[in-house]
Amino acid sequence: MTCRLYEEQLSSYLDGELPAARAARLEAHLKTCPHCQAELAALGGISARLREASNLVEVSHDFDRRVLKAFGYWRVTGWQRPVKSHLRPLVLIALFLLAMLGAVWHWFTRPIEPAPEPAPAYSVAAPVPTGGPPPVSREEEKRR
Amino acid sequence: MYQKLTSERTFLAGSSSNSWKGETEEAVRPANLSADGRLATADDASLVAACAQRVPGAFQELLSRYRRPAITLAYQMLGDLEDAEDVAQEAFVRVFQAIPRFRGQASFSTWLYRIVTNLCLGSRRRRKATVPLDAIREPTASDSPSRQVTEALVTRQVLAAMAPELRAILLLRDQEGLSYSEIAEALRLPMGTVRSRLSKARMAFRQIWHKLSGGGEEQT
Repeated sequence: MTCRLYEEQLSSYLDGELPAARAARLEAHLKTCPHCQAELAALGGISARLREASNLVEVSHDFDRRVLKAFGYWRVTGWQRPVKSHLRPLVLIALFLLAMLGAVWHWFTRPIEPAPEPAPAYSVAAPVPTGGPPPVSREEEKRR
Repeated sequence: MYQKLTSERTFLAGSSSNSWKGETEEAVRPANLSADGRLATADDASLVAACAQRVPGAFQELLSRYRRPAITLAYQMLGDLEDAEDVAQEAFVRVFQAIPRFRGQASFSTWLYRIVTNLCLGSRRRRKATVPLDAIREPTASDSPSRQVTEALVTRQVLAAMAPELRAILLLRDQEGLSYSEIAEALRLPMGTVRSRLSKARMAFRQIWHKLSGGGEEQT
């Protein structure tokens, strides 16, 4: 068997997928063939190269959000339904108008308090209180 | 684990078990279920079952586990990160939508990888999936500052020069670590074909790498 035929088996041998009898023949060949030994080592290094390259891939920070949005997660689970972004300004305007309406309604429906009575005007003839004891009415005098 | 998750959910959500309409979901928050780490420690099958019951948080947990593998697989297949994220997003959406019908005959990862691979092999993107070897220039020192980045660039170029079918099987085995039977399931191929195609893919990778690296470097 030539090296080329053995090379076709190296991949399966590397993964432990080669039948025992063929694996034994390949191992016997590997002991005497530096070329196939190097080929086996090289095939084994592919995995490390691929994983090293994949480690450099940077995932967008908002990937999960985009997936859940595309999936309709909020509709399916009903959890924390967000307001759609293009509706947010309208919602804010509506809330502001509602607040203004409430304020106006409150202003027009507030209870009207009675106006305070004007202070009694003193007549010119009446004695002007000057301090001292308050004047005593006639009934008071009789009672005394 | 799944029984625990669903019983917790039932307890929190009341007597109703219908979560599609979201009548009782306000009481069920991911924080409630994941506070003690049970979602984080659940196996994939339990999470898939929890997703089928629309347990909030289960989707995010699956997403966090397979976000990166799905995107890197798609990126190595397509060579463009934006396309890769689009493919991965589409794959996740398809998987999540089909979860109620998922019978568990294959593992979740095999299922997801199959969808990602099929999307990558799709005709629309396939046109630009392979770059002629002659069109690839060798990386220079100014391309990247470190050996790791340089080798990653060469790896990317080698993959781009490979046939998409060979690239897919190589990535599933040597990057994602799927077994031969899982690859056979993912790509719907007989085991013998998996074996021979993987061997062919590795040889192709070796030859293209040898050419791009000037023939002097051997892999370690």
